[in-house]
Amino acid sequence: MLTGELVRPRLHPRSGKLHVTMLKSKPQALETAADLIALFGQHAGQPQHIWDEALEDYEGERTDYTIIRGLAKVLEDAATFVPLETPIAPPELREILFERGPVFATTDLFHPLTQQNTLETVASELSLSISQIETLLFADHPAEYILADVGADWTPADLIARYNLELARGVLYWSSEMRIDLRDSYKDFWRYLKLFKLMFWAFVNPDGGYHVTLDGPISPFVKSTTRYGRQFAAFLPALFLCEQWQMDADVHFSQKVLNYHLDSKTPLTSHFKRSGAFDSHMEADFAAEFEAKFGNERGEWALTREDEILLLGDTVMIPDFALTHKEDGRRALIEIIGFWHPDYLRRKIEKIRAANRRNLILLVYEGVNLTRDRLQDTPNEVLYFPKKPVLKDVMDAVERAAE
Amino acid sequence: MSHAMKPSLTFQGGTLVLYDVDENFRVPAPFEWVKARWRCPAYHYTALLPWLREQGIRDTLPRWETLNLTLHDNRQPHDYQTESLNAWDAADRRGSIVLPTGAGKTFVAIQAIKRTQRSAVIVAPTIDLLHQWYARLVNAFQVEVGVYYGGEKIIKPLTVTTYHSAGDLIANQGSNFKLIIFDEVHHLPAPNWGETALMSPSPFRLGLTATYPEEYEQTNGRWRVDDLIGPIVYTKLIDDLAGDQLAEYRTERIRIDLTPEERAQYDADYAIYADFFRSHNLQRTYGPNWLSELMRRSAFDTEARRALLARKRILHLLSDAEEKKRMLDHLLREYAHEQTLIFNEYNAIVYDISRRHLIPALTGETKAAERKQILEAFQAGKYRAIVTSKVLNEGIDVPEAKIAIVLAGTANAREYIQRLGRVLRKVGNRQAVLFEVIARDTIEESQSQRRRPKKVRV
Repeated sequence: MLTGELVRPRLHPRSGKLHVTMLKSKPQALETAADLIALFGQHAGQPQHIWDEALEDYEGERTDYTIIRGLAKVLEDAATFVPLETPIAPPELREILFERGPVFATTDLFHPLTQQNTLETVASELSLSISQIETLLFADHPAEYILADVGADWTPADLIARYNLELARGVLYWSSEMRIDLRDSYKDFWRYLKLFKLMFWAFVNPDGGYHVTLDGPISPFVKSTTRYGRQFAAFLPALFLCEQWQMDADVHFSQKVLNYHLDSKTPLTSHFKRSGAFDSHMEADFAAEFEAKFGNERGEWALTREDEILLLGDTVMIPDFALTHKEDGRRALIEIIGFWHPDYLRRKIEKIRAANRRNLILLVYEGVNLTRDRLQDTPNEVLYFPKKPVLKDVMDAVERAAE
Repeated sequence: MSHAMKPSLTFQGGTLVLYDVDENFRVPAPFEWVKARWRCPAYHYTALLPWLREQGIRDTLPRWETLNLTLHDNRQPHDYQTESLNAWDAADRRGSIVLPTGAGKTFVAIQAIKRTQRSAVIVAPTIDLLHQWYARLVNAFQVEVGVYYGGEKIIKPLTVTTYHSAGDLIANQGSNFKLIIFDEVHHLPAPNWGETALMSPSPFRLGLTATYPEEYEQTNGRWRVDDLIGPIVYTKLIDDLAGDQLAEYRTERIRIDLTPEERAQYDADYAIYADFFRSHNLQRTYGPNWLSELMRRSAFDTEARRALLARKRILHLLSDAEEKKRMLDHLLREYAHEQTLIFNEYNAIVYDISRRHLIPALTGETKAAERKQILEAFQAGKYRAIVTSKVLNEGIDVPEAKIAIVLAGTANAREYIQRLGRVLRKVGNRQAVLFEVIARDTIEESQSQRRRPKKVRV
């Protein structure tokens, strides 16, 4: 992510709203991006400070240096810099050398060894060469880290697109709250919400979709806190995985609270991965077996993956499957409880209770450390299975519970 | 349904959250019904304890440990230090102790930790002071001490952090510490910093400062230290403690010449810089904000950008002038038996000096353990000189240092005084000397003038 000072010059308040000057893919910008990609590539295998100096030379007297540095930051963030492998830990080497200082280029009464003599002595004691010693001396400082992997294979247009995304994220550094309206219930949105440990509050909009407010634990008590801004910024790309949405953030900028608005018309794109179809082989197996036995024309039920979200106040539950009756539209939800950590399980049980949905069927793997009586007072159908669920039993339960 | 779980209290991101307590239950004032649960800032934890017990609400918050610390420091506290700690104890270990600079606030904090014998977190204003706290705590208790800031994040029962990083640490791990100490507590009223104290559940709180914030510094959206920490429990003024604690010192200004090449480059760059500066009346129009104005303009005005770059080259050239290197060489030889500190402005030049003379460098990149090792080896006389950038500016104790050589700096008077202060801790009757090496006929002449306050008092 960009540092605040690389974002700030691109922001402009205008009548209560905050506008970001995005970088357009015009010839000059594309050329700059191409130059930087090439320059960065040439520095593979070299220390970071050499790259820093090359970048400064490239900047020269250009006034668009915040853009150059921003593009460079995007390149650096996607790359890997690693410390040199050293035969002796640099702090240890420093201790050995500095015990002998100060030394000078020439000797005098109190300093019988020159700097060169001292390096020679230490080098031979450590069975290293002088040039090795000089390289190792500060090898643990970030400036000496080696650009080991330049990371992504950028095109100039990609780099500009990503830079613009980073600018939009940067706005949120100074944000105290985000409000989002989603038309669809894209599951990855909810996944990423949890991944970034954001506190949220969601409800169903009267005209469909969801309204979600994001803030953090202390927000209700310190209204203007920007403590969670970095998390909002980190999360933002997840929003672009949705089809139809809009977002409004309260941004504290130049001692004012400004509105920053984004919606699905934005040209910004997400680099976040959409999740794969299944979280576990249990789910994959279940879907495969269902398709084999009840799929296609023969079955009365259609199986869909994670198509319903149960809003539970400050959290959500997304059951693994939904079964919809092809004729009467009755629905049943299926949640498979496989191998999990006890804490996860405890929260899961709380959620199942809170959801209070009669048509939610639980398929519980016997190996799970979950005593049957803990699920006794839920309204749900619970089927236990030792290895894999018996599909016929599941379908019977679906018939009973669907509504 | 009788599955209702036992009500409990948990710590969540700097707040207290009641689980399995419903909306109709009568809960005391700080709690608010937010997002389907009763919540309040963790700050209220201590005040709520009696109510929690009365209601039989399971308290899952405390993660702090009882420690068994012994003090490996034989110094006896001064009477005023003991008095201040007794006053803090009597105030249920909440509140601030106000002592003048040099009166041993760190020592008071160490005693407070020893009395408390519980996990503690210390919040310091700067990374440099964080490192100093780290070294003092390791030495005092001979235990592993955690540090939590941008460069390192290691949490231990005794952990030191900065105001900047404390928010994250306390939001996530605040319930790990029964005692929270705010060094230089006058920083706490700042909006972001005060939030930390609000998010902390620590029942024991100690603020330390020489200058308790004024009323006007604690209003208008700023926090009140009394509210967050407790009242002032003890005050001693500088006059109460004044003695002959300060060393005698002298300052010596050494002028060097630029080489002909340096001179030519300097003059060329100075012309670019000064032309722009004068023709745009920067100083007159923008006063002390002239530099940020220059930076702002440099993003669209090529002339401004050139002026800014010229200024940067000038500062770099002056910091690294050939004759300064020669002078440093000379001074280091002349004072071969004195403990010496060398100041420069840029890390890169600091490392050059370190390589050239094989002396340790202290910069923002130096990690806690190495920094401690360097300062101790210096104190012990194993290292004779340290070269540093801005690291030793504020409040770091280097009592053995008797020579300071300032090769480059700013016109900032505070910085100058603090650098002087580094060599002014009296040891025996030795006189301290501060050498200021400046380039003749350059901007350093006037900078040096400006950085000398009318009357030097430390």
